Formats: sequence, C-alpha cells, structure tokens
Amino acid sequence: MHRYFLTFLAAVLLAGCSRSVSNPAGEKVFTVGMSQCNLGEPWRVQMNADIEAAAKKHSNLRMVFKDAQNDTLKQRAHIEELVSAGVDAIIVSPKESQPLTEPVAKAYQAKIPVIVLDRAVQGDDFTCFIGADNKKIGKAAGEWLRNRLGPKATVVELKGLMTSVPGQDRNQGFRAGIEGSGIHVAFEADMKWLEPDARKEMESALARLSRIDAVYAHNDPGAHGAYLAAKAANRHREMIFVGIDALPHEGIAYVKQGILNATFQYPTGGAEAIETVLKILGGQQVPKTIVLGSRVFTAENADQGGESLP
Amino acid sequence: MLRAAVALLIVILLGMAFHADGAFYKVGTHRDALRQASVYGILACGMTLVIVTGGIDLAVGSIVGFTAVCFSMMTIWWSWPWWISVPSALAIGAACGAVSGALVVWPRLQPFIATLAMMVFARGMAKTVSGGVKVSTALPTGDGTFRYVQVPELFRTIDSRILFGNLSMVTVVFLAIAAAAGVLLARHIWGRDLYAIGGNEEAARLSGLAVRRSKLLAYVACGLCAAVAGICQAAQEQQGDPEAGGGYELTAIAIVVIGGTNLMGGRGHMGLTLLGTITIGYLEKILSINAVPEAGRLMLTGVILVAAVLTQRRRRF
Repeated sequence: MHRYFLTFLAAVLLAGCSRSVSNPAGEKVFTVGMSQCNLGEPWRVQMNADIEAAAKKHSNLRMVFKDAQNDTLKQRAHIEELVSAGVDAIIVSPKESQPLTEPVAKAYQAKIPVIVLDRAVQGDDFTCFIGADNKKIGKAAGEWLRNRLGPKATVVELKGLMTSVPGQDRNQGFRAGIEGSGIHVAFEADMKWLEPDARKEMESALARLSRIDAVYAHNDPGAHGAYLAAKAANRHREMIFVGIDALPHEGIAYVKQGILNATFQYPTGGAEAIETVLKILGGQQVPKTIVLGSRVFTAENADQGGESLP
Repeated sequence: MLRAAVALLIVILLGMAFHADGAFYKVGTHRDALRQASVYGILACGMTLVIVTGGIDLAVGSIVGFTAVCFSMMTIWWSWPWWISVPSALAIGAACGAVSGALVVWPRLQPFIATLAMMVFARGMAKTVSGGVKVSTALPTGDGTFRYVQVPELFRTIDSRILFGNLSMVTVVFLAIAAAAGVLLARHIWGRDLYAIGGNEEAARLSGLAVRRSKLLAYVACGLCAAVAGICQAAQEQQGDPEAGGGYELTAIAIVVIGGTNLMGGRGHMGLTLLGTITIGYLEKILSINAVPEAGRLMLTGVILVAAVLTQRRRRF
C-alpha cells in the first residue's frame, strides 16, 4: 500500500512540475527518476536508501522513485512514464537485460541521460553503467580465506541461486581465489539466497564432515544461517564464517556481533549514481562504465567503516 | 494409514541406500530432519482442517511472514514478555484466518480466491509493518547507524533442544499441535462437522449443522497454526523476515496430499498429515546430505510426490 501511495505521489508530483522549477535558493531544480526493479530484496531497499540519502544533500535534486515489483513489463512502463513526464535524468536498475534494452535506448535517444545501475543492458545506448564485479568480490573472499587457513583446510560453500549470474560469479571468483592453495571445498549446496535453506544445508554438512575450517556463503543471511546451525551443534568455534553483501543491518551487524568473521561489500552504487547524475547535469563528461570497488568488514575494522579492497 | 506409511518407508529405505558415509545413521540427522519439517508440519495441521471441509488456504505462507515480523518486533524491539507477545502473535494469525474464513462463508467467495487475496494482503502487511527490511537484533537508530541488542531469551528457548539435545523444541510444538488438532478432528463435534461439510455441504446444512460457524473456525484454526509456525520461524532465524514463509503453503498442501487426505474434502486424518510431514522432512534431508544439485532435487521431489500419492490411492477413486 505504501508503494502504491508513493507511485500515486510520484504521479501527482510529475504532473504538477514542469522542467523549470527552482528551489528557494533560486537554482534550477532537476527531477531525477529512479526505476527500481524490485524492493523485495533488502539490498535493493538499501540501494534506494543510498540514492535518497545522497540526493537529499543537494537541494536542486528531486527524486521520483518507482518500484516494478519484479515485473519486467511494469519496469518498461515506468521508464516510458518517466520519459513522457520529461524528467531530467533517469537512474535504472533493470530486472532483465534484453527486454529493457530498448526502453532504455529510447530514453537515451530522447536526450535524457540514463544511468544503468548494477545490471547492464545490451548495446551502448545509455549514458553510464555503474556496477560492481561479483567475480572480483568472490575472488577477494577466496584470497582472504587463503591467508587465514592452512593448506588442506576444509571449506563449506553455500551458494546463491546457481541459475543467477551473481551466484555463478561469486562461485567462480571464489574458486579462482583458492585455486592452488590446497583448500578443499568438501560440501557445496545451493541455498537459493535463503537463510532457512542455508541452515538446513549446513546441518547436512555438519553431519557429513567431522572437521570444517570455514564456511563461505554467497550472501550474509546464508552465512548467518550456517552460523546458527553450527552453534546449535556447538561446533561454531571450530570454523570461520564469511559472507557477502555487507548491508549495514545485516552483514556488518553480524560482524560487529561476532557472528561472522568477515563480510565483503557488494556496493549498491547509489551514492555514485547521484554523483554521476550531478556531473552530467552540470555538463561534465562521465566514463561509460564505472566499476565499483568493494570493502571487507572484519571485527577489527568494522567500526572504522571497513577496509577497501585493491 | 498403512498406505501413507508405505511412502515414508520408501523414503527411509532410500536414506539407508544413500546414507552419505553414514551421516544418515547419526542421531543429529534425524533430529534436524524433524526440526526442518516442523514448521511445514504445523502449517499442514491447520491446512488439514481446511482441506477436510473441501477448502484450501493459500495464505498460510504469508501469515508466517506477517506473524514472524510482528512477533520479532514485539520481542526484539519492544522487549515484551512472552505472555503478551505470544498471544498477540497468535491473535494476529487467527484474525487473518478469520478474515479469510469470513470471506468464504458470507460473500461465499471460492476458498482459492479468498485465501489468494489474503496471501497477497498479508505479505503486503508484513512488508508495511517491517518497512521492507528484516526485523533483527540490529536496531536502526534513525541516523543511519545501528544499536545492537541481545537475541531474546524466548527465541533461544523456542530454538532449544530437549532430551539431552536429541529433540528440537519446535518438533515438540509441532507434535503437540498435531495431537491437539488430531483429537479435535477425530473426537470433537466440530471436527466431525468438518467431515460432514466436506462430504456434502448441502446435506450438512439441511441436517442442521452450523456450517458457516464450523467452516469459519476451520480457517481461524488454520491461521492460528500459521501464527505458531511464524513464531517458530522467527525464533529459528533470530529475526522477522517479511519474506519468510514464501511458498510454504504449497509444501503444506503437498504434505497433506502425500498423507492421503482428499483435496475434495470429506476424507482425511491428522495421523496421515503427521506421516506426510515426516516423509517430506526425510526426503529433504536425504537429498541434502547427499548434496544432490538443485535441479536434481526438484525433479526427484516431483517424482516422489506422484509415487507417494499413487501408493496410497484407493482402488476406486
């Protein structure tokens, strides 16, 4: 209901504003449309929150948020609505690459700057793509474990949905990171990004393996589920837990509470998107692709905001 | 009853054949198989009552999410004692069930439609009250930082084990609910009325049974079970996830059907649901300890579902 209200509010706002509105300081106010594919995932909620927080710092930006509720055609309609409403820039985090390529290209051809966040579209009819590299993050997690575990260490890998690209990349990157170190993945299972499933799979791993040195989960809820299973079996002290995403209220909180040993940030790029929008609206050139860096959070550095990865 | 036991036997034999280096023979494996089946089982108990009347309740998964969020807010955020938070969470679940039931008996909506509406509505409520994020022990302070609190003692109690660590508390909760629902269904007038309604609603009405009241109560009981499942889910996850319980309604229905309760209503037994729950629980566990890839699991589950239903089919259908 909240969401419908927002959409309604957005529609009213869009209908009511022409392009030459100015703020109390007399500057021109730019309207920026944000098309989010799905607010069901905490990470995407965080992305919108990051964008909102960054935009609030600039009195000449007005944001219009749209949530496609995981529906590709709805997202397409949202982009078209933003174009016809004549917004000054569009930020879009697409649900799917192929079906949203054309709507994005049309907006771009209508001379509206389009920033594509997280998932790319095809071709190059967009202004700028901002995203992180899951393979790189998986590899960093592998290398981090490699430095902490001896050779012949036994690792459990709890994978995200393996039909999804992030799951595949976090798997491949990790395997590249531990390659040649002698670290052995003794149990791997697809927990579909879900914490209850991660707990179930971890219980099976505990039943099968008499020694586990580390758990690598493709997201923080997965690592948390594994911790709960190990704690219930009173074996949580024999292993270290590593997750990915590092959302403030999830992964970073778990690290600070001593549940996870490390979490690797998958940045939302929200702040960078607003920064890029401002540059474009200010007439500056921006690169076609911006690859976001990641940070690692451990008990030692979580309070200082983590440590950036090379 | 015997026929349902055949399905369970097949699954257990499967486990003995693929015991994953002896992991199947460990006590912990059986305890964990029952633990992870318990939430499904609790839902299936309520579902059995509704299915016996010839109805269906698609909303249980969403009610799990909604009550898990509410229960977590009450215990983690507001530190309410258990004797307020548990009844409140149960009341929320019962209320959701009452709305579904009321839609079924008064405007005479199809149970499928009425509970489908409740399914999306309750999910929306879960997302609204939680603000779309998980209710966890990291409390937002409003300025972007978080304050950390302890996991409530109540959560630890529900997620604990008894009998020297050999039986999970949630399994005890499930067995208690199955026993209570079983007695109500088999011995109580209300339970007998449910069979009569499921067998022939018109005949039941003409015989002077309070059809509307009994049906409404079946949905209330189903909502109540979903709330219990939501409490157990929250305690096991140590948080209230607004997405919790997604798709659980289908597992619950599958359990009821594997047990042998007729989807058309009028026939069924809580003991069958108990066997169905254990069958599904063991099946999941065996696939998991053998680290069967996801694609294979889905196909195997489908095959075994059909096989289980076929083994307990009556000669004349």
